[in-house]
Amino acid sequence: MSSNPTRAPSIRGRLLGYLLLPLVLLLIASIWADHRTYVTPMYDMFDRALSHAAVSIASHVQKAPDGHLYVERQDPGPPLLHGPGHGPLPPPPGDEPFAKDRPPERFDPEYRPMSWMRLYSGARESFVYRVSMADGSTLAGDESLPIAVGEIIDNLTYGDVHHRGLLFRTASYHTIVAGAPIIVTVGETVHRRDTVVRRLDTVVGLSDGIQLLLVFGVCMFGITVALRPINRLRDQITRREPSSLQPLPLEPVPGEVRPLVKSLNTLLVTVRDSTLAQQHFLTNAAHQLRTPLTGLKAQLEVLASETRDSAQQERISRLQGSVDRLAHTANQLLALARAEPSAHGPGDSVEIQLGTLIEAVVGSMLDRALAHDIDLGAECEAAQVHGVYWLLHELLINLVDNAIRHTPRGGNITLRCGLHQNAPYLEVEDSGPGIPPAERERVRERFYRAAGSDGQSSGLGLAIVEEIARSHRARFEILDAREGTGARMRITFPGP
Amino acid sequence: MRILLVEDDPLVSDAIVRGLATAGYVVDAVTDAESVQGRLDTAHYDLAIVDLGLPGEDGFSLVRRLRRDGSPLPLLIVTARDGLDDRVNALDLGADDYLVKPFALPELAARCRALIRRATAAAANEMVVGQLRIDLAGRRAIDNNGRVLELTRREWSILECLAHHSGRVVSKERLIQAIVSWDEEISGNAIEVHVSRLRAKLGEAATVRGIRGLGYRLDDA
Repeated sequence: MSSNPTRAPSIRGRLLGYLLLPLVLLLIASIWADHRTYVTPMYDMFDRALSHAAVSIASHVQKAPDGHLYVERQDPGPPLLHGPGHGPLPPPPGDEPFAKDRPPERFDPEYRPMSWMRLYSGARESFVYRVSMADGSTLAGDESLPIAVGEIIDNLTYGDVHHRGLLFRTASYHTIVAGAPIIVTVGETVHRRDTVVRRLDTVVGLSDGIQLLLVFGVCMFGITVALRPINRLRDQITRREPSSLQPLPLEPVPGEVRPLVKSLNTLLVTVRDSTLAQQHFLTNAAHQLRTPLTGLKAQLEVLASETRDSAQQERISRLQGSVDRLAHTANQLLALARAEPSAHGPGDSVEIQLGTLIEAVVGSMLDRALAHDIDLGAECEAAQVHGVYWLLHELLINLVDNAIRHTPRGGNITLRCGLHQNAPYLEVEDSGPGIPPAERERVRERFYRAAGSDGQSSGLGLAIVEEIARSHRARFEILDAREGTGARMRITFPGP
Repeated sequence: MRILLVEDDPLVSDAIVRGLATAGYVVDAVTDAESVQGRLDTAHYDLAIVDLGLPGEDGFSLVRRLRRDGSPLPLLIVTARDGLDDRVNALDLGADDYLVKPFALPELAARCRALIRRATAAAANEMVVGQLRIDLAGRRAIDNNGRVLELTRREWSILECLAHHSGRVVSKERLIQAIVSWDEEISGNAIEVHVSRLRAKLGEAATVRGIRGLGYRLDDA
């Protein structure tokens, strides 16, 4: 793994990269080695052919009756199949090293003895010769062709010379004809030899290249197949609910990645355990807080109904107020703790019709509203969200509770739901005094209590709303009422 | 009316016994689920109030056991838990209603009254809402002066539907479904007309409260 997280190279890319570079180097090395293997025997073969030509020419050097040496001339005679009466001559062959083996058609008997027609097929202008005497005089052939100098092996020397502007490979045969030492030098341009080598290089290069491509393809295939379990794991992870705490399956995971998945699972189990522990704790805390409060509250009510003394009644009523406030705060604190994402699992999320939610909340808040002489109503349009029902219920209860606290007698509160630009929203509007823009941020803070708020408020209601909205990725806004002075609390859920 | 209370906290138990006594109920209190069966065998109860967080066998298990044994006893759950899962669970198991602690005694008394009324209605074909007696079999309503109200067929259907869900909001759509057959059509405005006529006929005996944008609720007064 790279230490640089921003580049995040893929394993596949890295594997291919690390394979491709050595493979290309291997290809170059193997072409070079092949080239070295065949180029020397190839040159030797060409040298031998040259030497045969030289020896053959030497065998045609004869001594004239006057003592001078001359090169025997041969009349080539008419070609067997071509020439007059046998149709036109075929076109001369190119300088093709692998052309069909046949004698040169335009043969000059003056300079090119018939003999090397057999010895060296395909020889033409690229072929030169010279028969020279030991004193340097030329008996026949090209006078300007230099004699090859160097170590004499089997009476032969070889050399590379520049002649008529071309590079020639020459072979000189040192021999004695009729008692006179002569040197027969033959030369051929290196073109044929180089063409052969080039052709071989091309063929070898191509075949090695194709092999490399095949190997590379096999590697790609292998890597793709080998990485398939990792890709499957990736798909499994991306397909999950983002908040799912289910452990990942270990089965299709290769051994190298298994420790990673195992530690991930350990982490998931830890998170799940802590969620369960927190839920368990909250259940216990709720029980331990609410049960004595219930007893206290109910006992005070009984006491109040049994007391006739008005001074004591007054005291009991104040006690009841305190107990109610304590109960309210305990409820709010529990609600706040439960609203935290760690306190509820992803399995709690369901599809919720906002209209149904509003109906339930209005049903449970109606008596409180009626007690405050407030007209509680609703304007519902179809809207659906994905969320935790009892959390959204708690959110709406808190919004309505807050509205009831701030709405004077005879006022009204309207709950709305619907779609705004395709995003579902919940709204609670009251006919109270509203919240000044400067305070709108602060009222969401925990335990914040606005000036003039009644003693019953715990200062947690809107903090709970904020927390629950956030856990549903919803936006909580405090706006002005559509009509009049009141406040309008709006929860906008993420669109589809 | 006799109520069996299953509650382990003595302070809560004592207050409920005394509070409900004021409302006219006789309450027998036990502290665990194990002693419930003995009480049920010796006396007739109209309602049981069960705390979910009992020591030993918990309230869920008790509710499940009672319903499995085929007991028709109305069950009201009181609990300190407020997660909706618990509520759904308890109602699925066969409890009839659910009240979260801490509650006010009048609220508890109201719930008890509603549950007993519903059970009685099923048995005696009669319901009492406020001062209104509703004779389900005779399809007639009798007000506090013993006078039989003259209701049209639709007004009776509305009253019957509201009475079955008294204390709870009944949506307009539900009322429409209750009063018309499948081939009839009726508008929301027509419902309003029927309800306002019914309201006039009920007078002081009971109140049909309109809930803006949602529906109606039948209240005691």
